[in-house]
Amino acid sequence: MQKYSVFSLVKNAFTNHQDWEVAWKDPEPKKEYDVIIIGGGGHGLATAYYLAKEHGITNVAILEKGWIGGGNVGRNTTILRSNYMFDSNANFYEFGMKLWETLSQELNYNVMYSPRGIINLAHSDAQMNAYARRGNSMRLNGIDAILLSRDEIKQMIPFADFSETCRFPIHGGLMQPRGGTARHDAVAWGYARQADSMGVDIIQNCEVTGFDVNNGKIEGVQTSRGSIKTKKVGLCVAGSTTLLADMLNMRLPIEAHVLQACVSEPVKPLLHQVVTFGAGHFYCSQSDKGEMVMGGDLDGYNSYAQRGNMPMIQHVLTGGLAVFPNFSRLKMLRTWGGIMDMSMDGSPIIDKTHIDGVYLNCGWCYGGFKATPSSGWVFAHTIAQDKVHELNSDFNLERFHTGKIIDEKGVGPKPWIG
Amino acid sequence: MSNAYRTKNSTGLINKNKKINFTFNGHTYHGYEGDTLASALISNGIHLIGRSFKYHRPRGFLGVGVEEPNAMVQLHEGNKSEPNIIATEVELVEGLKAKSQNCWPSVQFDIGEVNNLLNRFFPAGFYYKTFMWPKSFWMKIYEPFIRKAAGMGVAPLQPDPDRYEHNYEHCDVLVVGSGPSGLASALAAAKNGARVILAEDKANFGGSLLTDEVTIGNMSGKEWANDTVAQLKSLPNVILKKRSQVFGYYDHNMTVMIERVSDHQENPSKYTPRQRLHYIRAGEVIVSTGSIERPISFGNNDRPGILLASAAKEYMTVYETLVGKKPIIFTNNDTAYSTALEFLKNDITPVILDTRNNSNGELVKEVKQKGVNIRFNSGIADTKGHLKIKSAVIGELDKDKENFTSLESIDCDCICMSGGWTPTVHLSSQAGNKLKFNEEIDAFVPDKKRQRESAVGAANGSFTLNQSLAEGFQVGFDLSNKFTDNNIVTNTPNSKEPKYEKHERLWCMPLPQGKTPKRFIDFQNDVAVSDVELAIREGFRSIEHVKRYTTLGMAGDQGKTSNLNGLQYVSNIEKKIVPEVGHTTFRPPYTPVTIGAIVGREVGNHYLPTRKSPIHNWHEENNAVFVAAGLWQRPRYYPKESENMNDAVNREAANVRSNVGICDVTTLGKIDIKGPDAPEFLNRVYTNAWLKLPVGKARYGVMLREDGMVFDDGTTSRLSENHFHMTTTTAQAANVLSHLEYYLQVVWPELDVNVLSTTEQWSGIAVAGPKSRELLSKLFPNIDLSNEGLPFMGLVDTNIDGIFARIYRISFSGELAYEVNVESNFGLHMWKRIMDVGKAFNIEPYGTEALSTLRIEMGHVAGAELDGRAVPFDVGLNGMVSKKKDFIGKRSLSKEAFTSEDRQTIVGLVPLDKRTKIPEGSHIVENDKVASPVPKLGHVSSSCWSVEYNNPFSIAIIKDGKNKIGKNLFAVSPLKDISIPVEVVSSHYVDPDGERVRS
Amino acid sequence: MLEIKCPYCGKRSQNEFSYGGDATVKRPTLGEEISTEDWDNFVYFRDNPRGKHTELWHHVSGCRQWFKASRDTATHEIFDTCKMNEALNE
Repeated sequence: MQKYSVFSLVKNAFTNHQDWEVAWKDPEPKKEYDVIIIGGGGHGLATAYYLAKEHGITNVAILEKGWIGGGNVGRNTTILRSNYMFDSNANFYEFGMKLWETLSQELNYNVMYSPRGIINLAHSDAQMNAYARRGNSMRLNGIDAILLSRDEIKQMIPFADFSETCRFPIHGGLMQPRGGTARHDAVAWGYARQADSMGVDIIQNCEVTGFDVNNGKIEGVQTSRGSIKTKKVGLCVAGSTTLLADMLNMRLPIEAHVLQACVSEPVKPLLHQVVTFGAGHFYCSQSDKGEMVMGGDLDGYNSYAQRGNMPMIQHVLTGGLAVFPNFSRLKMLRTWGGIMDMSMDGSPIIDKTHIDGVYLNCGWCYGGFKATPSSGWVFAHTIAQDKVHELNSDFNLERFHTGKIIDEKGVGPKPWIG
Repeated sequence: MSNAYRTKNSTGLINKNKKINFTFNGHTYHGYEGDTLASALISNGIHLIGRSFKYHRPRGFLGVGVEEPNAMVQLHEGNKSEPNIIATEVELVEGLKAKSQNCWPSVQFDIGEVNNLLNRFFPAGFYYKTFMWPKSFWMKIYEPFIRKAAGMGVAPLQPDPDRYEHNYEHCDVLVVGSGPSGLASALAAAKNGARVILAEDKANFGGSLLTDEVTIGNMSGKEWANDTVAQLKSLPNVILKKRSQVFGYYDHNMTVMIERVSDHQENPSKYTPRQRLHYIRAGEVIVSTGSIERPISFGNNDRPGILLASAAKEYMTVYETLVGKKPIIFTNNDTAYSTALEFLKNDITPVILDTRNNSNGELVKEVKQKGVNIRFNSGIADTKGHLKIKSAVIGELDKDKENFTSLESIDCDCICMSGGWTPTVHLSSQAGNKLKFNEEIDAFVPDKKRQRESAVGAANGSFTLNQSLAEGFQVGFDLSNKFTDNNIVTNTPNSKEPKYEKHERLWCMPLPQGKTPKRFIDFQNDVAVSDVELAIREGFRSIEHVKRYTTLGMAGDQGKTSNLNGLQYVSNIEKKIVPEVGHTTFRPPYTPVTIGAIVGREVGNHYLPTRKSPIHNWHEENNAVFVAAGLWQRPRYYPKESENMNDAVNREAANVRSNVGICDVTTLGKIDIKGPDAPEFLNRVYTNAWLKLPVGKARYGVMLREDGMVFDDGTTSRLSENHFHMTTTTAQAANVLSHLEYYLQVVWPELDVNVLSTTEQWSGIAVAGPKSRELLSKLFPNIDLSNEGLPFMGLVDTNIDGIFARIYRISFSGELAYEVNVESNFGLHMWKRIMDVGKAFNIEPYGTEALSTLRIEMGHVAGAELDGRAVPFDVGLNGMVSKKKDFIGKRSLSKEAFTSEDRQTIVGLVPLDKRTKIPEGSHIVENDKVASPVPKLGHVSSSCWSVEYNNPFSIAIIKDGKNKIGKNLFAVSPLKDISIPVEVVSSHYVDPDGERVRS
Repeated sequence: MLEIKCPYCGKRSQNEFSYGGDATVKRPTLGEEISTEDWDNFVYFRDNPRGKHTELWHHVSGCRQWFKASRDTATHEIFDTCKMNEALNE
């Protein structure tokens, strides 16, 4: 594989960039693989990469219905954080943060990991208390967190609404300084390129249409490009999980909902942190291109459409102007939607299933992007060892029977309620 | 050289009698009424407007309307400053100030242009391949450097002073675009009686009829447009909207339109909104959005002065402005010849380059007849001119049109290019229409519709006037007849237009031998042909991958002029036909929309409604400090003179414990419940028993969600056999009502019960403290308020000053207490009466902080404990859970995890030093000296200063709480760097047996 | 913005309604013995179809009635709505 560096870039500049190799090949599917990963999104690509790298399993195929990186890894708002209250989440996402920190070097692909800090704004003492609970929990778990006063926030984002007429004045906030963003497409492409170089077959335009299960064991998959044998299948298709699970007679604690995001036109750098509004549904960061990347809440009804409706955009931007009244004269450039696998407690599922050799990775709700490295890492482990790792042991399906649910928001099993 | 570039004839829409002054980059110029900023600048000979995003290349105008990718300016100053405004969409208004953006120190000399000199090092996606070493440099050096280069214009830093409004409209037929097909369909639909809205983005109706030399009936195209608009204006069932762009097509035929209301007005009145957002629910939508001309890619095709042929024509015909005096026209089709003819009318003879081998189209013949030499089979290889086009390297193409056979340089001051036309299918596609590729025009057109949307005219790929009018009249009639059934047909007039020959499928010129000038496809994002080639070479073969890797079509213009050329190029390289390559998704908005307009009036203090109790003004007059409780404003405490919050709260709470306090509890949710099955219903909703509650008694109740978590709590009283009054927490009031309605209407429709919110109807006043009975006895001398007369959890109806009042003997503070309820209108009166009588008993108002102190001391749980993750056992509500009956959520309570030994449960905490207040949100640990991860036992949910014991007290939820009582642990807050040794005590710190409330 | 036909009030815009989830989920009868699995199926597990979905809506800023709707989760097309005691046109 060609190594990417400033030297290779300069060298290629003098040959008009004619000599760059393909980032990944476009192979025909083989008859059989040791492991098949369904879903060429961030999690699927990362899983294949770690299967090859950590477990030496390289006879792996990634089957992607469309084009790799086309699902939620290409549709999110690129936020990275591990500011969770419960240990199961905190440990898992913090493990991921550590992987993010060296990911560009590991993949030899600049994923533009940018730990610029994430600030959750608080608008009441009660909210400050709730943030203190979470922040203290993070600190006790060895994760960075600081409380910010109103004045400290004013220093960082002076253009936020600190006026008399503010409906919900900013009291303070919780900040994870190591939180930040990464370039979403680069994550998918970086994992794809490395996985490909280690022998993984990335097969695009290949839709799975059925499973061959015999005596409770997986034997292969049926696809739009023929049947392929395998003894292990990992499902990494958040957003469409139920559609595949139906083929395996699995009913899941998941609903599909659409989450929209939008960007403003690019403006000169202004906002240097990721900021979430505590009195409504709004969060924002400014991309390296200058666009304000904004999101908020689900459209609010089950949906498999990768597009949303106007009321939620209006709702989210209304929250936006409540924090940043100067954004009013910016223009909204583009909106889009992604389908969320909303699990019933807001936490993911990474587990074995009732079928031998079928592994499940789903239920990422709004938070799948930041989990890409850690999800791929533990899922690869779970598949390779046929055993869950300590880091994903709480993300089991059984919790919906035992009651060990991991509900950070405390809203209960109604995913459409923000 | 003021206005040196005006046309000879004044046949456009410019009013030369009204001069308008404006400044650009600090220089003052003038234009005329009817000008856009673009036409006014061009008429002053100015083409250099800004710098491109990546390479900071000098850029001018490409287009004349919404398609413009280059000519973006920063408009106005201060809090009205606006970045990234395309000059072609700005109507000239007196005093307008505009400046170039993305350049420093000036647009003529921009340091950032060094990027252009080094552009060979910055191909598509270069940033993915570098800036990785050393690791720490990305955050510290590389990214800050890249971020500095980010963005185009500058965001204002102050709030927007302008006002935006929303409007909701309904119509039978919405027509988007007022070109020939739009006017025809609007007229046909309107005459057939349908309610029609006609929306036009520009300041003038007419679309291509304003620029094309055609005849309709016995009128010119422009006359026919004016006549049709006049007819439409006279009809009462038609709304005509100029400066109004339909930018989004959403589900169920909901479209959204932005109207520019006052930007073009010199002195708009104070209450005129700047823009208005219209939500239009249309029965049918006619998409008559026309088409946009395609550019051609050739070396350095981005210099100021290189623009679309149709734009050049519109500048001449509508804006009476010459884009240059030494033009080259470069085309692959016939339509650009109409631009040539416009130049000829101004005695300017253009050089014409046509990639085709020949054409016998009518306009081509006309141009030939006028003696203009047309160079067929020719193209442009490269251009020169740093800040403005100066010359072009042109030449003849070989047989395969893959190389130039000869090259020569010719001088020019503008190049007008035409690569044919792209139907504007955005709205159809947004509506869910699966587009199909029309090979005749080499573009996508609408196909199978998913919503009630019909494309007509050029937007439908029908490029002749004849077709456009025929489709417009037909579709307008057909669709309107669905609503009116009037069968009034408007006949399609005859029309005359030039006949065109077919375009050539060639949009990218070969490079001059041995040279590699950039051939741009996407101008704003600086995406060149070589970038697309690189993407494909590297395996980014899906069109979505090409788009994302190169950023083709992702700039502010959203690829209006670049997407199809990009696609075409991919299809050429991949040797696939265009429909196999597919197209990227069209997403709203069609053009960028001001965020303020999307938000409307819900800004500042109006972000959300503010709810105030009827006693609010009294609180204000008495120095209350307010706190938000959801939408409500509640008094938090009432400081006296120099008191701080702690002093005030302690005083207020202590006064309740020793004398009597008064608290406004109007915000509590109240629900009236009536019906013969009401007791049974409550018995199912609450965890405790309700069937035997006597009339005239209240009871505390806890309700769960089906997953077993505590949902809400409150007291509910039985007013009569079948009539109950429920109270809920302030926060959950609306949710509880929906919850009750859900169970009554969906789950148990057999229960005969009605529920109704009465939160706004009642004002509630808590009177709490040992002297409360004496006080109320004085105020209500006619009722027996003795412990026997009105026992704990009793209620009594009475009258005072002719007002109905209901007195409940309930207590949240743990003291002897009452709650007086009167109709909201009399809340303030009642409050004042109690205060008057209470003076003798040292009554003082208390706010939510003292209220919290009192409930925390007593171990009453509230929102901080009932956080949606607690089952009743966690928060000491075991006694509230009936073992005998079933209720909502009961089955979940037997889950293994909810009953396990190590479940976190409620306790009290007292600091060992009896002085240090424990911050809420602290965690409880056994050992505060271990390294992370530190095992956590639980957290502190509520803290107060106990006025009873004069030391701090907290409620905590900790692992196996019951068995930890008496133990010493640590409350730690690493965020505040503190660790407090604490003793675990019962959560019922004061009056654990509840004697006071019953006294 | 969806347009939803309340069976009591007629067509109204989506912002008058709140969503209530899958209407085919039937609450187990009160007081009846039920297995943990069946109960958990009711509380947590969903069919989550792509395509026709029978669901509940609440006309919360209107008549405050809950009602049923049949809607396509992929296209958002609403085929029918009806009162709780009526059957949807399938």
